[in-house]
Amino acid sequence: MDEVLRVENLWKSYGETSVLRGVSFEVKRGEVKVIMGPSGAGKSTLLRCINLLVKPDRGRILLEGREIYPKPYDAIHRIRQRIGFVFQSFNLFLHMTVLDNVRVGLVKVKKLSKEEATKIAIEALRMVGIGPELWNKYPAQLSGGQQQRVAIARAIAMNPSIMLMDEPTSALDPELVGEVLNVIRDLAARRMTMVIVTHEIDFAIDVADEILVIDDGKIVERGKPQEIISNPKHPRTRRFLERLKRRVDHGLR
Amino acid sequence: MVFINIKVIQDYGPVILSGIGNTLILTFGGFGMGLVFGALLAFAQCFGRGIVRRVATAIEESLRSIPLLVLMLLIFFGLPELGISLSPVQSAILAIGLRSMAYQSQILRSAISAIPYGQVEAALSLGMTKAQLFSTLIAPQAFRIALPGLVNQFTIDLKDTSIAYAIGVSELFTQSIHVAQVTLNYLTPLLFVGSIYFVMTFSTSTIANYLYRKFSIPGLGEASHG
Ligand SMILES: Nc1ncnc2c1ncn2[C@@H]1O[C@H](COP(=O)(O)OP(=O)(O)O)[C@@H](O)[C@H]1O
Ligand SMILES: [Mg+2]
Repeated sequence: MDEVLRVENLWKSYGETSVLRGVSFEVKRGEVKVIMGPSGAGKSTLLRCINLLVKPDRGRILLEGREIYPKPYDAIHRIRQRIGFVFQSFNLFLHMTVLDNVRVGLVKVKKLSKEEATKIAIEALRMVGIGPELWNKYPAQLSGGQQQRVAIARAIAMNPSIMLMDEPTSALDPELVGEVLNVIRDLAARRMTMVIVTHEIDFAIDVADEILVIDDGKIVERGKPQEIISNPKHPRTRRFLERLKRRVDHGLR
Repeated sequence: MVFINIKVIQDYGPVILSGIGNTLILTFGGFGMGLVFGALLAFAQCFGRGIVRRVATAIEESLRSIPLLVLMLLIFFGLPELGISLSPVQSAILAIGLRSMAYQSQILRSAISAIPYGQVEAALSLGMTKAQLFSTLIAPQAFRIALPGLVNQFTIDLKDTSIAYAIGVSELFTQSIHVAQVTLNYLTPLLFVGSIYFVMTFSTSTIANYLYRKFSIPGLGEASHG
């Protein structure tokens, strides 16, 4: 099967702290990988290494069969066009309208005409359920859930080979989590290749082809969602999952 | 007691006002020069490496530590000894411009560093080059954040054109002193010229407030000015 991403034995440390300690996994086209694990485990660092916002220390990363680390086959800014990234804190461009946020990458980076860019942007906005009444608003005028959906539209408008999402709902009020998760479920149904870091267990079971549990910079457990959730082998996974489930039971997220 | 001698204003007001042209030339010349070179200096400090960055910082720090009067006299009286002679107006513009450059670079630099880094990462993750990042994100946002500080610097430059009196530029303040010396009345011409500075400064901030509102974007460098 067609392999979109391959991470081989990735290491990264900040000074004395070793954050990634030999992480390896691969993602096939149309596959959704969910990464779970306690805070500080290295999940964000892993995603940032994949789109080269953070430079790993050693290991190897391949995108669609071509090496992007340590020896990138092309300029890094061109490689990043192929990788969509959704941040925990949305990171929309505050001085641009919703429409411009989604259009800017198409116009500036992909050099499309304004008409073409607008067409694609509108299609992407519709896909995430952002209607015309919001297209000329600024990010600060939107709810967190709307902002994150615009951020997802901004990423998918670029037509990336793979989407990386770093806790896309962690910064949201509980009542806004659902609308964003539904958009991501939609993308999964359209066979968008994704790597998603999340603490939402039910959602993970829903969309994941495989769950990777990371702890202390290593993948400590991986497998089909049901296997991991119902029968975790690693004691730390068990404790971590129990904590998450308790939070769900208490209606907290 | 009469504080204001109306006759002095009637007779000599036009003499004082004749200095307004030079005041505006020094203000716009100095501020404009400060903006262009201040932006370059800020750019060098934020994005330059090693020696470039250190030289830019040294230029900024030293110009901020020298009194404007000293700087102006240095340029007007000192440079000719090195074979560079500038007219009084040129010297005053250069002095005000250099000082304004130092402050404007500081204002722009802190505006650039006020841009949330997450947005920079988002721009990079779309595949922007450094140049695209600068023109689509950094420049427009930094300019908006810096606007109140830049306007403030403009009014400081405006008022400090009066220091050009020391090298004989016939701007507003110099003219008012001449009138005072001729009429032996200091209070009236100085109050008169003071109120002209007030009107100019006040209208600048009024126009600026209008611009803040016109260009304000919700959630970005909110113009909470009266
Ligand atoms: N830029 C950085 N400088 C120093 N330490 C960092 C940096 N980024 C992350 N770390 C450290 O790396 C560890 C893993 O961080 P992170 O990847 O954000 O974990 P997670 O996303 O799983 O919570 C943490 O201990 C964090 O303090
Ligand atoms: Mg994280």
